[in-house]
Amino acid sequence: MPEDDRSPDQREDEALKFHYTPAAEARPDQKQDNPHAKGTTHVPEVIDALKGEFGEAIGPVESYANEDTVFVEKARLREVCRFLKEEQNFAYFSDAGGIDRFTDEERYEMFYNLVNLDDQKRIRLKVRIDEADMHVPSVTDVYRAANWNEREAYDMFGFTFDGHPDLRRMYMPEDFEYHPLRKEFPLLGVPGSLPLPPQTPEGELTMDPFAAAHGSKPAKSYEEPRSVDEE
Amino acid sequence: MATAPEFPGLDLGDKFRFWPKHNEKIYERLESKHAWIEERRAEQRGDGMPVTDMTETDPLDHEMVLNIGPQHPATHGVLRCVVKLDGETIEKTVLDIGYLHRGIEKLAESKTYQEFMPYTDRMDYLSPYSNNVAWCLAVEKLAGIDVPDRAQWIRQIMCELARISSHCLWLGVGLMDAGAMSAFLWTFQMREDIYSIFDEVCGARFTVSHSRIGGIASDISPRSISMIREFIETIQEEIDGWERLLNRNRIWVERNKDVGRITKEEAIELGLTGPNLRGSGVEYDLRRFEPYLKYDEVDFTIPIREDGDCLARYFLRLEEMKQSVRIIEQSLDRMSEGPIRADDAKQAYPSKDEVYYSMEGMIHDFMYTDVGTQAPKGAHAYHAVEGPKGELGFYLTSDGTGRPFRVRINAPSFANLQAMEYIMEGSLVADTVVIIGSLDPVMGEADK
Repeated sequence: MPEDDRSPDQREDEALKFHYTPAAEARPDQKQDNPHAKGTTHVPEVIDALKGEFGEAIGPVESYANEDTVFVEKARLREVCRFLKEEQNFAYFSDAGGIDRFTDEERYEMFYNLVNLDDQKRIRLKVRIDEADMHVPSVTDVYRAANWNEREAYDMFGFTFDGHPDLRRMYMPEDFEYHPLRKEFPLLGVPGSLPLPPQTPEGELTMDPFAAAHGSKPAKSYEEPRSVDEE
Repeated sequence: MATAPEFPGLDLGDKFRFWPKHNEKIYERLESKHAWIEERRAEQRGDGMPVTDMTETDPLDHEMVLNIGPQHPATHGVLRCVVKLDGETIEKTVLDIGYLHRGIEKLAESKTYQEFMPYTDRMDYLSPYSNNVAWCLAVEKLAGIDVPDRAQWIRQIMCELARISSHCLWLGVGLMDAGAMSAFLWTFQMREDIYSIFDEVCGARFTVSHSRIGGIASDISPRSISMIREFIETIQEEIDGWERLLNRNRIWVERNKDVGRITKEEAIELGLTGPNLRGSGVEYDLRRFEPYLKYDEVDFTIPIREDGDCLARYFLRLEEMKQSVRIIEQSLDRMSEGPIRADDAKQAYPSKDEVYYSMEGMIHDFMYTDVGTQAPKGAHAYHAVEGPKGELGFYLTSDGTGRPFRVRINAPSFANLQAMEYIMEGSLVADTVVIIGSLDPVMGEADK
C-alpha cells in the first residue's frame, strides 16, 4: 500500500461527514417534556366542576402530554355528557371510539373527545366496560353526532348502546358475525365469513353470482310501496 | 318457461345473495326513520301526524325508493345513498358506507409506526401529504419526539400544497357535477403541477409517504423551491380566472345558492368539520385552535362564511386556497437551514449516507426498521391536524412496544357524511349531486 504523503489536515478533509449523526441516547440539551403538548387539552377547572357535581361517579384522572382523561362511571355517562354540554359549554362532539384492553376485568373502554369551541378547550371522557356486561348508555340524545361513532363501535367491538336510535353495523354487512377490532379476531379474517371471489382462477366459489337469475329471492320483513298501476 | 342455466359452483341460494340481511336492515331503517320533513308536512296538513302514506292524485307526489350508488360517478367514490322520494323531493335518506372498508385500524396494530405510513396515503387519497403529517405528529406526540425546524417548515409547505390540490379537485369535480366540463381540465392542470412538485420533492407523484417519524425523508432541493415559487404565482392567476368565471355565473350561483343550507347550531350539533363547519359561521380551525407545525409563526386568516349553503362553501374554499398561497410564500421566505430529522437513533431514521457508509448508521437503520419508535407504556395521546377536509386526528394508545396498541382514526369525511344524511332530507333529488360535491367527502377516509 503506498504511503499517504498528505498532511493530517488534508486527510481529515477526506473523512466522511454526516449531516444527521444519530446518537444512541437523547442529548442532555434535548427537551424532556412533550414538544407537542397543547394548552387546550389541560382542563383542571372543568374536572373540579365535574367532581363537585358528580362526586364518586368521576373516577381517576389521567394526564399524558398535557391531555386530561377523565374516567366516568358507566351508568352516569349520559348525565356527565349533558352537564358538560349544557353547563360547561362543550357543545362540539369530536370523536368517540372503543378500545380493547384485552384484560381479564373491565376489558373494553369507550372514549369520548369533546370540544369547547368558545373557550378553546378539549376533554376526553372514558368509560370502562366489562366483558360480562357489554351495555353502554348511548349519548346520541345529548350529542347527535355520536350516532355513527357509536354504530362503528358496535360494529367493531360489539357494544350494545342502550337508547341508540339506529344500532346497525357501520362498515361490515349485517350478515357478518364477528367484531373485527377485538384483539382475538385474526388479522387475516375468518375464512368463509364473507362471500369473497375465489383467490385462484380454479378456486371454489363461495357464492352464486347469478342467484337472482336462479330464482333466489331474499326474504323481506317489510312491504315495498306499490305503484298506482299495481293497485 | 326457460330452465335455469347450469351453474358450476355451489348454489348457496339465499345465503350469499349480496348480503340480504344487510339490505333488509337498510330498507327497514328507511321505512322507520323519523325525518323532520315529515313533521313539517304534517304541520301544513294540520292533523299533527307524520305523513307516511301519500296517496294523492298528482303523479309527482308518488313515493319511490331510489338507490344512488355505490357505483355512481357523482357520489365521488363508493357511497350508497338510499333515498325515499316524494315526487322530486327527498323525504328520507339512509347512507350506506363501508364499501371501501379495509380495516386499517386493525392493520395498524400489527405494523410499526413507520410501516403504517403508506396506509395513511390511501385514506384521504386526494391529499396524501396531510395524512402523512397528521400521522407523524400523532406518533411524535405519543413518543415525545421533537422535530427540527426545517422539517416543520417543509411539512407545512407541503401540507398547504396538498390543501390546494385537494380543493382544486373539489372545484373541478364540483363543476363537472353541475354540468361544466372544461373547468375540470383547468383545475386538473393545476393539480398536475402539484404532482410534479411532489415528484421533485418526494420522488412520487401521488402516494408520497415523504414524512417520517421525527422529520422528513429527504431535504427539499433548490429546483423544487423554484418550482413551488413558480406554482404559487400561476395558481393565483388561475384562481382569479376561476373567480371571474364563477362568482357571477348565473348557472353556478343558482345551482348552489340556498342548496344544502346548514345553520350554525345545526352544524355544531351534527359535528361537521373543516370548510363545511366554517361555511356555517363556526370559527373552528385547528391551525388556530391548537397550532401545530409553524402555523403560529405565519400570518394568515381563517375564512369564515355565515350562509351555510353550497355557495358559501364554494367561496370559502377558494378563499382558503388563497390563504394557503400566503402561508407557502411566508414559509419559503422564513424556512431555516438545518437538519431535517431528529438527532436520535431511537426516534428517527439515520440519513441514507450514514446507512451506506457507517456501521452505526446501518445498525440504527436496521433497528429502526425492526423495532422503531417505542412510546412509553400506557401512553395515549390524540393529535389532530386541519386537513383539507377538516379535523383529521389520530388517537393512539401504546403498550410500550414499537407497534401501536390501538389506533383510532378520526376521519373528517366520516363526520361530514353523517351530517349529509340530514342535509339531503328536504332537498331536491337533482341537488344531491351538488350537495355531495360541496361537502367533499372522500370514501377512502370515511371507510378506513
